[in-house]
Amino acid sequence: MKDLRTLGTKIISLGSHPGIIQSMLDYSYCIGDESPQVVAIISSGRKQERYFWGNKEVIVPVYSSLQDVSEETRSAISGLLDVRSARRVLSGMKEALELLPGLEAVNIFAEQVPEEHSLEVEKLAKQHGVLVAGPASVGLLVPGVLKLGAIGGTRYPQLVAANIFKPGDTAVVSTSGGMVNELIHTVTSAGLGVSFAIALGGDRFPVTTPAEAFLLAEADSGTKQIVYFGELGGNDEYVIAELLKNGKVTKPVLAYVAGTVAELFAEPPQFGHAKAMASSNDETAKAKKEALRAAGVEVVDVFGDLSNELSKRGGEKKPQEHNEIGVRHKSLIVSRLSGDVNGDVQLLGRDLLSVVNENSLAGLQLSLLLGLEVKSDKLIKFTDYILRLLADHGPYVSGALNTVVAARAGKDLASSLTAGLLTIGPRFGGAVNAAAGAWLNGASNDAKPKDFVASFKDNGGIIPGIGHRKYRIDSPDPRVKALTEQFSGNSNGDKYLNFAKGVELVTTSKKANLILNVDGTIAAIMLDLLESELGSTKEQLQELVDIEFFNALFILSRSTGLTAHYLDQRRHDEGLLRLSEDDITYIP
Amino acid sequence: MPRQKLSEFRAKTILSEALELPYTGWPVNADEPLDGQLTQPAQAGGPFVVKVDEGVKGRFKKGLVALDVEASKLAEAVKEISSKGYHGVIVEPMVRHEQQAERYLSMMIDRSGLALQYSASGGVDIEANPDSIKRVKLDDETDWQQLASDTGISEPKLKKLAEVFKSDYFAFLEINPYLLEGSDLRLLDAAVEVDDAGEFFVDNWTAEDFRSHTGQGLTEEEKVVKELDANSPASLKLSVLEPNGSIFLLLSGGGASVVVADEVYNQGFGKQLANYGEYSGNPNAEETYMYTKQLLQLLLRSSAKQKVLFIGGAVANFTDVGKTFAGVIKAIDEVADQLKSQNVKVFVRRGGPNQEAGLAKMEAALAKYGLLGSVHSPDTPLTDVVTEALRELKP
Repeated sequence: MKDLRTLGTKIISLGSHPGIIQSMLDYSYCIGDESPQVVAIISSGRKQERYFWGNKEVIVPVYSSLQDVSEETRSAISGLLDVRSARRVLSGMKEALELLPGLEAVNIFAEQVPEEHSLEVEKLAKQHGVLVAGPASVGLLVPGVLKLGAIGGTRYPQLVAANIFKPGDTAVVSTSGGMVNELIHTVTSAGLGVSFAIALGGDRFPVTTPAEAFLLAEADSGTKQIVYFGELGGNDEYVIAELLKNGKVTKPVLAYVAGTVAELFAEPPQFGHAKAMASSNDETAKAKKEALRAAGVEVVDVFGDLSNELSKRGGEKKPQEHNEIGVRHKSLIVSRLSGDVNGDVQLLGRDLLSVVNENSLAGLQLSLLLGLEVKSDKLIKFTDYILRLLADHGPYVSGALNTVVAARAGKDLASSLTAGLLTIGPRFGGAVNAAAGAWLNGASNDAKPKDFVASFKDNGGIIPGIGHRKYRIDSPDPRVKALTEQFSGNSNGDKYLNFAKGVELVTTSKKANLILNVDGTIAAIMLDLLESELGSTKEQLQELVDIEFFNALFILSRSTGLTAHYLDQRRHDEGLLRLSEDDITYIP
Repeated sequence: MPRQKLSEFRAKTILSEALELPYTGWPVNADEPLDGQLTQPAQAGGPFVVKVDEGVKGRFKKGLVALDVEASKLAEAVKEISSKGYHGVIVEPMVRHEQQAERYLSMMIDRSGLALQYSASGGVDIEANPDSIKRVKLDDETDWQQLASDTGISEPKLKKLAEVFKSDYFAFLEINPYLLEGSDLRLLDAAVEVDDAGEFFVDNWTAEDFRSHTGQGLTEEEKVVKELDANSPASLKLSVLEPNGSIFLLLSGGGASVVVADEVYNQGFGKQLANYGEYSGNPNAEETYMYTKQLLQLLLRSSAKQKVLFIGGAVANFTDVGKTFAGVIKAIDEVADQLKSQNVKVFVRRGGPNQEAGLAKMEAALAKYGLLGSVHSPDTPLTDVVTEALRELKP
């Protein structure tokens, strides 16, 4: 039996339900947690979601699958909120139980989970000793510990009105989500406190049965009495009655069993919850109430009498102290790079001037591009070198030519520079990023260079970072030589550079000029340095590829060259550049 | 609504296919022209058995089965059944047999797993012979050989039944009666309840095959709500109890809605209760508008002299009270004059996200139209407000 008081409070959410997640974070903040309980969300489409933590915003990372979450994070997870659709519940639970070894409590929110699936989840949950509220449940609330699910409300004022920040002595067990909240209010309005509250869900086969919830309450040191909401249908109340008769549950129980109205119908009706249908006399509300009464339960016929009974045992309602949440405003933009603090500009978390004073130009540029202050001399030196190396390769290349054309047409600096930059793409200047993606993919999958090369067949055989117009295996590119001499020998064993060289071995055996070129070399060494000097993970490197970090290096460097060509042309001031008839082959 | 009855036609089609038995039967919709639908059976030659196929229990005793019907009398037999308010009918070839030969078999699932019940004395009176029914759990320890000899159904076929029960998301299966014919069997009557949450995972049936419990036709309003429910991630339910009732309920939440209905019944107003229903799972304003509109139509049509409308529920966890009430208010806006002229009073009790805005707007609208009974937040116990509404009806 789980000890509710010591449940872990690191929660992951399968699927995203911002209202519920925010309310869980609000609760976590209100009870004085030091960090938000929800630590990750499994969902598609985004990398992060923003939530409030108190009055400030925090970021919760989003992963597309549970497997993408680091093992370190996963092993710390103890709670799971599953808000995905009914048909994904079984597969999601199987995966979660496998990948989250420390899992203790789960809330399954979806309605319409097939009964067979619920029964299978039940088996798995029992094997792993996991407490599951649901399916079709708003969750589990242990005041002062956690709020797992929508239970208690999804807005801060509701949490305050529910008065559930401090534990009391009354357990609330309900098959219904709306009624669990109603009962929480009834209990706290009567001046009592909630020890824990659980919505089991209105399905025929909830994973945790009412009887099991009663045993949980019996075992819970904080619980002195149990308030129960049950419904017609099923035979749970008879099991509860047995527990009471056998002395397995000794704490006093106050109960309401809904569904006497079914007597009005000629055929047994199906009420709102899946379970709520009495197909035999035993399953009627009346019969179940009698069984509970016979076992010593105080069963009220009028729901309002619950409140009257509880008031006799309680007293005045006292609003509970908690960390309060004020007016909050969702910001428009999130930035890790820079911002004003008390009116002063900060870069990367430090005062602007001190960052400027303590960094070289390349160091500052790389730090900004990566979004963190880089201290590695070798990495900064490499960056400095490639920024110089890529600055200008003459007015022949497409980008520079376009800048020249625009400058001579009388356009201003920004327009002419942009004309050049807009030329950068798959055939001009974009190869560093593409090569980084290729090396990362190949090396981290331990691909054989031969297979790797073959995989580019569909791409017309063109491998980014491979091939040169002029240089060949027997007359190597001196820039490649300079780069490898100065910047290889990294602590990751030059994983990416060696992989790229392995590829080169295959390609040059086919054609002598299919060498590892400057773009490919820069990409490989940058990957090696990031991994060796900064400890970047494969996922982080992949993100850098996805967001075009490697292109950024080229664009940054080449902007100098393009700007220089603009200024150069303005100094010459030769007027409009126009092609001659010889330059065009006209085919009428 | 997880458990749904399949039409007998669909149930037998699935079972016959699984057991590799031939099956002949024709579904007939009594609301459509009969000629075309009866051509095939007529050609096959009679006699036939004609039965209602709407998931009705005790068909024989209710006179909803016609035996030994000649081909020329088929239309007559179908009309006889439809005249009693039914639409779905099934026609099958008549199988003559000794009543003693009728056997019973059923299969069900619960927390402890799959179980099979059987009896050699099947037929319409099975309930009179409960002692003849044996129950066996179907699991790794089942003695299938023994079971095959007891039921007369071969071991592979029994296993196939258990298999189709699981793979087609059955919740309950009853074959009563079946006959043994040499080494094979014939299913005379079969009823299958499926778990409708399994629809996504099966190919053998769809929601089209569901037959309602009551066998009664739905009102237009109930049909609209059913359609709404089918097309929404939220849940919307409406069933009419007494078309000329005085008490109309517009409720939220599967649990609270029953509590409110209970309260009406417990206070002795059951006969005046016009409907049961609920919406939950955070429907949008358009959905609550459509839902309310249906309920108000029923209310306006009722011939009761005094009418009250109770709107409410428990303290919602995540259903937005502001938003859902906006839809309710819009529907009230449209027929406010008629409601006023019928002297309808509206009582409201609700809590949840945005309750302040929702309740304030509701109160303002009801006051403006002269429909205001009272509007309460969760500070007033749910059932106290029901009592207040019922007091309105007392002479």
